[in-house]
Amino acid sequence: MTARTSQAMPATPEGTPAAARESLQGHYAGFASRFAAFVVDVFVISAVYLLLLGAINFVASIATGKTVDLNRNDIWVVIGYLVWAFIYFAHFWGLNGKTAGGGLFGLQVLRDDGGDVSGRRAIGRTLALPLSFLILCLGFLGILLGDRRRALHDVIAGTVVVYSWDARAARLRYLSRPRYSAPAAPAAPPATPGSPGSPGPSA
Amino acid sequence: MEAMAQTVAERAISLVLDVVDLNEVLDQVDLNALLNRVDLDTLLDRVDIGAVLNKVDIEEVLDRVDLNRLLARVDVNQLLSTVDVNRLMAKVDVSAIVDQVDVNQVVQQVDVNDVMSKVDVDAIVDRVDINGIVERVDLEAIVEETDLGSIIAKSSSGIASGAIDAVRSRTVGMDEAIARLVARLRSRPYTGPPGPPAGLRVPGAS
Repeated sequence: MTARTSQAMPATPEGTPAAARESLQGHYAGFASRFAAFVVDVFVISAVYLLLLGAINFVASIATGKTVDLNRNDIWVVIGYLVWAFIYFAHFWGLNGKTAGGGLFGLQVLRDDGGDVSGRRAIGRTLALPLSFLILCLGFLGILLGDRRRALHDVIAGTVVVYSWDARAARLRYLSRPRYSAPAAPAAPPATPGSPGSPGPSA
Repeated sequence: MEAMAQTVAERAISLVLDVVDLNEVLDQVDLNALLNRVDLDTLLDRVDIGAVLNKVDIEEVLDRVDLNRLLARVDVNQLLSTVDVNRLMAKVDVSAIVDQVDVNQVVQQVDVNDVMSKVDVDAIVDRVDINGIVERVDLEAIVEETDLGSIIAKSSSGIASGAIDAVRSRTVGMDEAIARLVARLRSRPYTGPPGPPAGLRVPGAS
């Protein structure tokens, strides 16, 4: 997904090779995938932050000899959480366009021309992300209604989100999975239809 | 009496022949007119050609003939130009000829490597519609029926497990369902997910 314009693909789905169409690889990701990836990212960010917070409380309690309880009611904890979330998104989007959630659901953030996202653009996208929430989440309508499925922060940062996993390869992996067949049952005497124990039609 | 007459006649003929110049006589004879009067067909009917040929030693005749020199004087191209090859080939039972050919033996005598070295494979491949061929291949059936599938699974097992594939497939399915629903609400036809971005090269989508 990081290869560039040496062999440019047509932008229209009609002009896309059949294999790519089937795999959806490189096509703009839809709402469900992006939402699920975001939920996973929030979970990861929160889990890591809570662990970090617990570790800080523990170390501070030992160091000071007093009970230290940093919780979400503390403004500094909230600020720290937001900073951590900013670092998380900006770092991973700038690194390879994939956060943990994006990696799990096979999504990647790219420039709107298909190129890699630079660190500066990743920071811009991260800063613009709250705007999509602050306007009553209307910033996400573009994912549902836009031709390129871009949210507001995508438009501001000049980015797109695409499927980075090959659904066709996944299908082949599924077909090639190991299958264990049950040992053949001993031949049973023919039973009259409708009699107890006779095999009925499979559901 | 007869013997004496015979002796006289022979003597007379001998004297006449001594006097007559046969060459001069022959010069005065119109051989063409003479030959025109000869019925050659009748004459040939009376000749036993078989008996004549039996007396001819053909082997000796052929030994004395320089065939190479003879053939060198033949204009083969002109000869062949007069041959109606199509008519000739129509009379040839090609199947019978082919049946007599030991193809295996012929093939064994062929230096395949030498032949292949002269073949411009790139030029041939350029003329082949590989995409068209690939589209006709039922890859899924091949993977199911061969060990290729297990190779693919082993090579990609570190990249994604079956569970992740399943999760991704489901979310993509939800994406499509939502997109179709939105398109229906907007009274617009849905033709599949848009993209990819211009300039993006998708691996494996050659």
